Amino acid sequence: MAAFIDILGGLVGTFFIISVLSMLWKDNPIFRIGQQAIIGATIAHYILLNFKSALNNAVLPMLSGNFWLFIPLFLGVLMYTRLKNEIAWIARYPTSVLVGIGTGVMIAGTMRGQIIDQMKNTVLDFSKSIASGDSMGIFNYLLIVIGVVTSISFFTFTREHKGLLGASAKIGRIFLMISLGANWSGELVWYLTQLIGRLSWIINTVIKTMLLGG
Amino acid sequence: MSEKPTTFWEKIGKIDYRWLYALSLIFTIIPIIQPLGLPIQVSEGTIGYFNAIDKLKPGSVVAVSFGASLALLDEQEAQYLATWKMLFQRELKVIFYCTYADSPLIIQKHLGSVVKPENYGKKYGVDYVVLPYAPLGEAGEASFAQNIRGVYPNDIYGTPLDQIPMMKNINDQSAIDLVIFMYTSCTDVEWPIRQWVVPYKKPVIVATLGCCGPMAVPYYPTQIQGFLSGSGMGTEIEIVSKNPGPGAMMSDAKNLGILPFILFFILGNISYLGRRFVTKEVKK
Amino acid sequence: MILSYFTPFEVFAQFKGIATNWVVIISAVTVAMGLVYMTNAQIKMYQRNRTPLQLAYVLTTYFFFFAFLISGLAYPGDINSREYQWWFQNIYGNVGATVYAVMFFTLASSAYRTFVVSSIEAVALLLGGMLYTLRQIPLFQVYIPWIVPLGEWVLLVPNTAGGRGAVVAAALAALVVGIRTLWGKEVTLEVAS
Repeated sequence: MAAFIDILGGLVGTFFIISVLSMLWKDNPIFRIGQQAIIGATIAHYILLNFKSALNNAVLPMLSGNFWLFIPLFLGVLMYTRLKNEIAWIARYPTSVLVGIGTGVMIAGTMRGQIIDQMKNTVLDFSKSIASGDSMGIFNYLLIVIGVVTSISFFTFTREHKGLLGASAKIGRIFLMISLGANWSGELVWYLTQLIGRLSWIINTVIKTMLLGG
Repeated sequence: MSEKPTTFWEKIGKIDYRWLYALSLIFTIIPIIQPLGLPIQVSEGTIGYFNAIDKLKPGSVVAVSFGASLALLDEQEAQYLATWKMLFQRELKVIFYCTYADSPLIIQKHLGSVVKPENYGKKYGVDYVVLPYAPLGEAGEASFAQNIRGVYPNDIYGTPLDQIPMMKNINDQSAIDLVIFMYTSCTDVEWPIRQWVVPYKKPVIVATLGCCGPMAVPYYPTQIQGFLSGSGMGTEIEIVSKNPGPGAMMSDAKNLGILPFILFFILGNISYLGRRFVTKEVKK
Repeated sequence: MILSYFTPFEVFAQFKGIATNWVVIISAVTVAMGLVYMTNAQIKMYQRNRTPLQLAYVLTTYFFFFAFLISGLAYPGDINSREYQWWFQNIYGNVGATVYAVMFFTLASSAYRTFVVSSIEAVALLLGGMLYTLRQIPLFQVYIPWIVPLGEWVLLVPNTAGGRGAVVAAALAALVVGIRTLWGKEVTLEVAS
């Protein structure tokens, strides 16, 4: 038989699982309690971890001699000025730093990683399949080439989708729908797995192991 | 106010949702209590993932970007445990770095109880090290690749990295031979592409949720060597690497749990087709 | 940042290292703003609906906030302490996971009504979704063996085609927005600040 504190934890956890599932019947106070509990818990969890991170990455190294780390610490504190309307303009400076660095980091890799390499691999795979003579490979990679070109044409919003562009966009839409369908499928099975995990926890961990000592 | 369905086609298209909920719950519980034990087929992405780890030479350094969420552990636990077992079964040096708030708690709990590195002859600080949580984001991944100590001056226990034997000659991407990117947000797959593959041409494999797998596929196999998507592929990596774990039960329970959904989905389409072609209530 | 990528000069690479580290520190320091916004939202919710039940909801939020905060600070080991793990695993983990579990029912019930063969695009969505769903379920892998190579094909060919097109289009859009942001021409940021 499990320790009392573990059984209590199991029962509390089961209560919260049922409280969230009760939302399927209708919105009710039990569900709201579970909802409010996770809000408070999440904020506390993030505060605990992030302050520890700030302490280890900035405060302690700064106190050990790396005084430049005062600058990002100060910028982080300046972000809190947006809470008061009169001095909210000060928060633009640290926001600009974050946006500038984030944008720069993103741009540098995007051109190569997501545009050039994607187009290059699409063409290269097709030419390799032709060289190999594998008919199924040629069909598949030709389909990918057509799909990539037509999908990109769908996102051309500066011209009306008429004529050749219209036909291309329509074909591209079909490929995009298949892709969305695959993503949707992944989500469905993911959520089912979550449900299985919680039900399994109640049945195997709480009921069988903790309560029945199995 | 909605009208009551009158025709047969309308009736089968407007069944109360709660029947679907109840049937789904019952059908999901049955295989949890009485497993079916059906075999699972392994997919290409899993084989690529396995091969990327298997072909590493002894002494290679693996950086595991661990962005796990406790709320999503059911979906990814099988992936994590099988991957860690694979890493500890080989002569590799492993750096776990936590990029999500829940990650340190998950890794410490599991590495102490479910997967014990000592059982594989591995020693902390010599064969593997765990770095604490830092809110990396894409900029942080770039920073980590350039200067590990700049982001993580200490390990999860507060020991300075300079005092850890394994980390003596490791401080940036040049010492790393494989990056395993474990994440829960679909668009994050672009981060290792932009910050590890493009600038440094490092081999990368990813492990993510079921819904994010299709979004990682466009990068496979040229930019990422393999991928795991959801608990299904977590079960597959357990099979391929011969490390049984929680994935088998998850995959088994899906067998019946999905059936009510498929039934209602078919009924919904029969209703639509009947209303459109038989009673002509719905126009194209 | 961009220069560090496109030029061989070490000084830009060093700047990139420092700058990206600063982002990590700034992000860590600003997290407590979440507490302020949460308090603001709770106050507004109570002002809109001054009932004992609403007050109970507000008190529940703060009870769990302080329970987690205290258990994470007061015991040896901080967040690794047994006490914090108890709260974390039993409440945070279970509620978070169950919220996603509920989404299965929501998704299934919405698919029942809306996932119908009403157009060619809907058929494409349906086929892509159902073929890949069936591929993932062991029951169908055993009794409909051809679903496995077909499902894999859907993932690796048409999904890749559509996905790559979306990736390229999104990357082009992100580049344009990024350049406009650096240039100071991005209107949405001006409005937000």
